[in-house]
Amino acid sequence: MTADRRRGSIGGAAGPAAGSGGAAGPVPGSGGGAASPGSDETNACGLAVRGLSGGYVPGRDALRDVTFEAGPGQIVGVLGPNGGGKTTLFRALLGELPRRRGELELPGRLAYVPQTERTRLDFPVSAFDVVLMGAYGRTPWFRRVARRDREAARAALDRVGLAERAGDSFGVLSGGQRQRVLIARALLQEAPVLLLDEPLSGVDGVSAARIEALFGELRAEGRTLLVATHDVRQAGEWDRVLCLHGRQIDFGRPAAVLSPETLRETYGAELIVLEGGDHAVGVGHHVH
Amino acid sequence: MIDLGAPYVQRALLEMLLLAVPAGLLGSWIVLRRLAFFSHAVGTVSFPALVLASAWGIAPQLAALVAALGFGVAQERLERARRLGADAATGLLLVGALAAGVVLASDVFESGTEVDTLLFGSLIGLGEREVLLTGVVAAGAVVLDAALRRHWLGTGFERGSARALGLRPVLADRLLLAGVAATAVVALDAVGALLVTVVLVVPAATARLLTDRLAQLQLAAIALAAVEGVGAVWLADAMNVGAGPALAVLGGAVFALVAATTALRARAVTA
Repeated sequence: MTADRRRGSIGGAAGPAAGSGGAAGPVPGSGGGAASPGSDETNACGLAVRGLSGGYVPGRDALRDVTFEAGPGQIVGVLGPNGGGKTTLFRALLGELPRRRGELELPGRLAYVPQTERTRLDFPVSAFDVVLMGAYGRTPWFRRVARRDREAARAALDRVGLAERAGDSFGVLSGGQRQRVLIARALLQEAPVLLLDEPLSGVDGVSAARIEALFGELRAEGRTLLVATHDVRQAGEWDRVLCLHGRQIDFGRPAAVLSPETLRETYGAELIVLEGGDHAVGVGHHVH
Repeated sequence: MIDLGAPYVQRALLEMLLLAVPAGLLGSWIVLRRLAFFSHAVGTVSFPALVLASAWGIAPQLAALVAALGFGVAQERLERARRLGADAATGLLLVGALAAGVVLASDVFESGTEVDTLLFGSLIGLGEREVLLTGVVAAGAVVLDAALRRHWLGTGFERGSARALGLRPVLADRLLLAGVAATAVVALDAVGALLVTVVLVVPAATARLLTDRLAQLQLAAIALAAVEGVGAVWLADAMNVGAGPALAVLGGAVFALVAATTALRARAVTA
């Protein structure tokens, strides 16, 4: 696993915490209670974000004032409505948001698992080819992908239960299988932090069970997972929850964050309250 | 019967065989990355530059290359302004360049019959310098493809992850457009400003119907471009027409045949 630690402020002086530097400290709204794997108090090799703001157009921030930490072995559920800033946050963490302010502390290169809808299904690539992309960053252009990486790619496919589909075209796989291939690609990157953009939306039951089991394994390995989701109940089972709606609504332990008030502020009219106090969110075609 | 001993025929055949290399390698990326309209526009915007080069006595390839690269920069600026889509920006620049070329050729320099050659190419006009330049571009395409194919593949498959994968999508895409522009420029001599897509797009689009693997696609596109190029030289010489139109007819016929065959086969499988 990559261990190099990258820290730096980003953007100009307009950000709330721009250029402030310093070590990772307590984060407002980080909840309380006993320490869980990778607790707040020891964020070594974790991810720290302070005062992150930014957007695509000058003067119009798509996301404002995001501050949170995620330690090794923690899963953070990122909740928010469509257009609420979940993907924008990931783009900012990946360094792809055109305009950013604030401070990031990253434990190395991040791996990103996009929504399958963003992939080109007509591209002439097999499932194995897609997983192999995870090794491109460490392969010189004049060399074939190393045998070790090819074997690791097969192992990653096996880990997501798709070893037998390695030679199949990516485009002929089901939505859930495609999502698992993209997760296998992220595994091959051997990154300490994985950003997963709605990996469980619209996937079949078998794939969802596989992916959730894999989350547990990755948590046990000490990897940090940021998972964008619309499933409030599922996010409640993870270590931390980050609620976004153009800005940070709240961050902390699920028990502390997932109150009706916070969810209403996060989702507004899109929130559906079920009998018995459970909350479900209806967003477009996503109904959980 | 074609005279294989004639120097102009030999040059034309060599030109088409060399052109098949960048046409197959980069043409495959043009098809996969949906750059066919851009490729057509790159050829067309070189038309006014070629008219100026002819009138002022400067190297046509240099003028065309400047026009093609200038077009790429202008298109990127227009797209970045986020007020125009890529297709709209390409269309605007394309019709503007075509209009400028027509005005320059007909009213300013009165280029006359030379316009046909600029628009549709000529085998007789191919000299050793043109063939040599095509060889250089073919070698450059091989290097470019080897160096950047992973960047083009990863970025084209899903752009959002490209940087997280350690790829350089912006630089790689700019070099792809530059490679396409260079290939279009050397194709101009043979097929003309209006028909560069019959070299850059048609063979790769035909090969795409036949395979689902990148390496096979590129090899098939190179082979098709070579065979169609040689066939076009023969057709152009036999019928005394431009190589561009001959290649367009041949390439279109082969594409139609392959498309019909694959469609019939797919129907037979599902029946």
